[in-house]
Order: sequence, then C-alpha cells, then structure tokens
Amino acid sequence: MQLKQPIGASLTAAACGLLGTLPHVAVAADDSDRWQADTALFYWGEGDGRVQDMSLRAAVHRALGDDSSVDANLTIDTLTGASPSGAVLSNSVQTFTRPSGAGSYQVPADTTPLDDSFLDTRVAIAGTWQQALGESMRWKAGVTASGEFDYQHYGANAWLERDFNLRNTTLYAGAAIGRDDIRPVGGAPLPLTAMRGVGDNSSKLADDSKDVLDALLGITQILTRRSLVEITYSYGQSTGYLTDPYKVLTVVDAVSGLPVAGSPGSGLNLYLYERRPDSRTKHSVFGEWRHAFDRDSFALSYRFMADDWGIRSHTVEGRYRRNLRPGLYIEPHLRYYQQGAADFYRTELVNGAILPQFASADYRLAQGDALTAGLKLGRPSPDGEFSVRLEYYRQTAEPSAGSGIGYLANRELVPPLSAVIAQFGYKFSF
Amino acid sequence: MASPCEVLCETEEAAVANHISEHAAAEALRIEQKYSRYRDDSVISQINTAHGRPLSLDEETARLVDYGATLWRLSEGRFDLTSGVLRYAWRFDASQPPPTRAAVTELMKRVGWQHVDWKHPRLTMPDGMEIDLGGIGKEYAVDRVAEWISGQHAVPCLVNFGGDLRCVGPPPASGTWQVGIESTTQPGQAAGCIAVATGALATSGDTYRFIEIDGKRCGHVIDARTGWPAPHAPRSVTVAAPTCTQAGSYSTLAMLHGADAEAFLDAEGIRYWCLR
Repeated sequence: MQLKQPIGASLTAAACGLLGTLPHVAVAADDSDRWQADTALFYWGEGDGRVQDMSLRAAVHRALGDDSSVDANLTIDTLTGASPSGAVLSNSVQTFTRPSGAGSYQVPADTTPLDDSFLDTRVAIAGTWQQALGESMRWKAGVTASGEFDYQHYGANAWLERDFNLRNTTLYAGAAIGRDDIRPVGGAPLPLTAMRGVGDNSSKLADDSKDVLDALLGITQILTRRSLVEITYSYGQSTGYLTDPYKVLTVVDAVSGLPVAGSPGSGLNLYLYERRPDSRTKHSVFGEWRHAFDRDSFALSYRFMADDWGIRSHTVEGRYRRNLRPGLYIEPHLRYYQQGAADFYRTELVNGAILPQFASADYRLAQGDALTAGLKLGRPSPDGEFSVRLEYYRQTAEPSAGSGIGYLANRELVPPLSAVIAQFGYKFSF
Repeated sequence: MASPCEVLCETEEAAVANHISEHAAAEALRIEQKYSRYRDDSVISQINTAHGRPLSLDEETARLVDYGATLWRLSEGRFDLTSGVLRYAWRFDASQPPPTRAAVTELMKRVGWQHVDWKHPRLTMPDGMEIDLGGIGKEYAVDRVAEWISGQHAVPCLVNFGGDLRCVGPPPASGTWQVGIESTTQPGQAAGCIAVATGALATSGDTYRFIEIDGKRCGHVIDARTGWPAPHAPRSVTVAAPTCTQAGSYSTLAMLHGADAEAFLDAEGIRYWCLR
C-alpha cells in the first residue's frame, strides 16, 4: 500500500520545528565504489555556412578507497563547414588551390574568401590518477592524447597541492608537457611563398611538429563560510611549427587595393602562405571569486594574458546560479573577451612593400572582442542531473592598421562571427 | 543510546577535538537520561506514570512529541509514539518464539495516538498507555550535537551515534567520509560503501534484532496499526537526508511499508540503499 502523497515537505517542516533550524547545504551522498559519469552533447554552429562542431564528451570518475581516485575523459568532435582562408575580398572571382593541391575552388566577387575544404574528426582521450599524501597533500598525474586527420598530440601532466591553515588555504602547482605532430594535407607550405596551381606541390614541405610546456602556480583561499577566492599564474611556452599551414595573405596593389597576379601560368592571384614565429611564450593571471548565498551562488572571474607575439587579452566572466527549487536551477552566464592584435597580424600585404619577417591574416590574431551570453537550466535529482545550455557568441575583429587601400576602403575586411552554442548534459552514477 | 557513539573530527588542534568530544558526550548523555524509559527520574517515566492526569511538558519534550505526532499522521498510523508497550510481547530474540495473537491483541488496547489528547505543551494520556521516544531520540541527539558543532567550529566532523550519522563543517581532506553499510548476512562486514560529504545517513535494519515467524524473518519495526512487523520488509534501509532526524524517519517509515519500501522511497525522490 502506498501513501498517497510524498511526505517530504511535511517531514522537512516537522524536522525544522523540532530542531529549530535546518542546514542550508544539499545532501551529497553516493556509493563510493561507483563510477560517476558526466556526459554532454555539444553543438557549436557559426552563421553564414562557417564552422559547425558537433561534439560528444564523456568523463568518468571513480574513487578508489579513501585516498585515491581515477578519472578518464573522451571527446569526439566532428567539424564541418568553411573558415576564412586569410585572403581578402576582391571585385572579381578569386580562384584558390585546395590545400591538397588536387583541386581548386572559386569565391565570387565582393565576398570574403572561405576555405570550404574544412572537414575533420578529432578524438581526444585523457586519464588522470589522483592520490592523497597524508591528510593535507594530494598529487595527480595524467596522460593526454588526441588525433585527427592532420594532427596528433601526446602529453603528460603532473599536479601537487597542499592545504594549510586548517585547510582554509590550498596551494597548488602543475605542469604539462606535450608534443604535437602536424601533417598538413598536401604538406606544410614554405612560409611566405606563393600559393601554386593545381598539381604543383613544389612549395610544400613534409611534416612538422611543436613542443608545448605549460606550468601553473595557484592559491585557493577560503574567506568566509560562504566565500572563496582563487588566484592562478600560468606560463605557457610553445616551440616549433606554430604556423597555420592552411592560411594565406593576399598581396594587393598599393593603389587599387586589388590582388596582384600570382606565379605565371598558375592562373592565381598572389597569395602568400603565412609565417609565424617558431616560439611563443604566454603569461597569464587569473582570479576568481565564488560566493554562496542561502540559496543561490555566483562566480566572477578575470583573466589577463600577455604573450611575446604582442597579444594582450582581458577576459571577464560571471555566472549566477539561482536554485528555483530543490530539483531545478537556472544559471545565466556572461563572458566578455578583448584582445589586442599580434605584432605580425596583417589583414593584407601590399605589393612592393618590404616583406615582413612574420605575417598572418588569421582573424584570431587581430584586435577584437567577443561576447558570450547564455543560460543553463539544470535538473538535479538523486539519480543524476540533466542540464541544457544555450548560448550566443558574437566576435568582432579589426583590420590591421594601414589596411583598406583602394577597393578595400570602407569594406568589411574581417567580417564579424556569430555562433550559437547548445549543450545537453547528463551526469549520473553507474 | 545502547550503541557506540563517536564523533570523528579532522583537526590538528587537540583543544578543538576535546571541546567537541566533551560537549558531544555530555549532550548524548543528557538526552539519554532525559528520555530513558528505564530511569525513574526521566521525563518519559513521569509521563508514563501520570495515570491519566494532564501534564505540561517542557519545550524540548513538547517539540519531540510534536514531531512524533506528525510522523503518526504522515505514516497514517504506522508509526506511533505509544507503540512501545508492544515490547512486552516482542522480544526480538531469535531464540524466543513469536508472541501469541492474543498477547498482541491485548497489548494493542494500550496503543493508539488517537486516544491521546495532545495540545502543545499539554499531554493527557489514558492510564495504562506509555510513550517511547526511542524511535526519534538517537537521530535527534545526532542533529543536536551537529548543530552545536556547526555553531562553534569550522572543522570537518562526522557525528555517528550507532550508525545514524551526520556530516558537519567542510568536507574532509579526502572529499568525502566513507561509510560502510553493514552486511545483513555477515555482521561486521560491509555490504557496500557510501561516500558522503554533506547531509546525514540513518539506517533501520534487523541484523541483530529479528525474529522468525513461520520460518520468515521479521524485522524489529512494528506496524502500530496491527501490532505485527510489516511483512516483507527489507533487511536494512539506509537513507540520505539533510538531517539525521529526517533520514531516520524515512528509514523507519520505509521499513513500515514492507514490500513497498522501495516504492515509498522512490516516490519521495531521495537517495537510499535497501538490502533485502
């Protein structure tokens, strides 16, 4: 026989009457020898036929006894769509050789050239082992690997943290090393050489690679029962092949602003493959404040990044979680990002001018900003948590100083980018 | 409390640990003495020997009676503060035979909250009836100690009175307290392990206290409407809730739902572990 109505609310009221108070915290109890899984289906869709990313993400965690745990992650991405090649628009049809050298595509007049041969599947895996060292220290170590058609990554990382001050303060340090092998379709082009015609791969070299080192040092400080701050400094160094093998720059006439002719017989305009320095050092400082009210909570963060490519960026981000009732919360999210251009960013190159040592027309290296605004809805329950996240992303970028000659004057050289982000997540134990 | 009581606390300061353990022991003892049915000077003895006279209860006792009265109503009579007299028939010792129907029927004349006149804080109970706060007292003591600690210290603590427990303060260094659920077939062995960081756990089970009727094992939780244990009850029910009082009530009521224990807990939408 069943009671007709759940008695939870009445029982809660009765317990409150008996004890005079009830704890604010939610109950966190689960089988310790079970796997905790966090899965998500993620979609990123850019407007105007640009990149679409459909991604499946799964992470599992399992505590092994009192003082160790293991984590494993799997991500599968499928990317389709077109992305800007770096070339600028022109008043006539432009022809480009595909990266493979096996074919070509055309872009109509007055249109920003997009390379539509962008199609890839990426699989990434990671595993981490965490172990307590006594009451106040923990270390973890992990390995990472990912593979896609033209790119392989292998990495390892280690992390150590220690609590001080009755566990109100935690200091941590981490480091990661990685090796990336790049095998561009058709070969890695010789930097700052002209795009060749179909079937002519003489300007392409073999594969290349880069090495990445990241290190960070941070502190988490509990301020009050409800508030904590986290401050992290991180350092990143990449050396080796940092150039994007598929990106080019248009060489335009100094007066008309129209592309000049490329190598004789190719039938192409003059597009030079980009070249970036073979090392990059980044420093960044991150601070976050998290606070919990009786029912709701929020997190506010700021990040400053500077690198030796001349980029300086600022990121401000905030989330507010409003618990509507025990099984439902809503979480608005706002993020604003602003960056200055890399020293070698050029929207286009001018014919006859001295060729710079490094040059790239990748809009991601331009001065610009990006706004992300969205909302997450979550339904936690004893069996798991289901969530839906919807966000809108809008990015704008500025052309390099001095660009916009002749035909290019007053044209939108770096079109803004908008994207929608949708994510369906499910957390559960098994 | 008729069971081992402990407070685990994670701190490097002996003074903090001593302060907590001294208070916890004093509070557990105070509640035990105040509500023991075996002590002549306890509040329960006063109530049970009032012989029909109205009594005005102190505020703490009145709140416990309020809570018991609410459980009686929410359980539609399965849980009843006056069902303690049934212990005269039910010994819950595997070596003893079950009581006779006549003995239970006779005792049932002295059971039933509907016969009690309760107007907070005034209690008038017919002569011959008794109340027993044993079904609430231990969990209440855990919550009292936990609430006191949370107002005094911000160190990770686990208040554990005979397996009914509640977390206080921040989670321990390892992230969670590991709590074993005792096996119903191998006493002393864990049948499973629960990781708990916040909230409370309470268990109702019959590992030691059970009786066999017609070859069927019956738990020690008696349905106050019949005077008999609920048929087909789980061997043990562990429930997670914000307070130990709530967790204990859920686990007791689940036992009282017998074969429908899981269905009852599912409808409540809470985390639980049933062993059958």
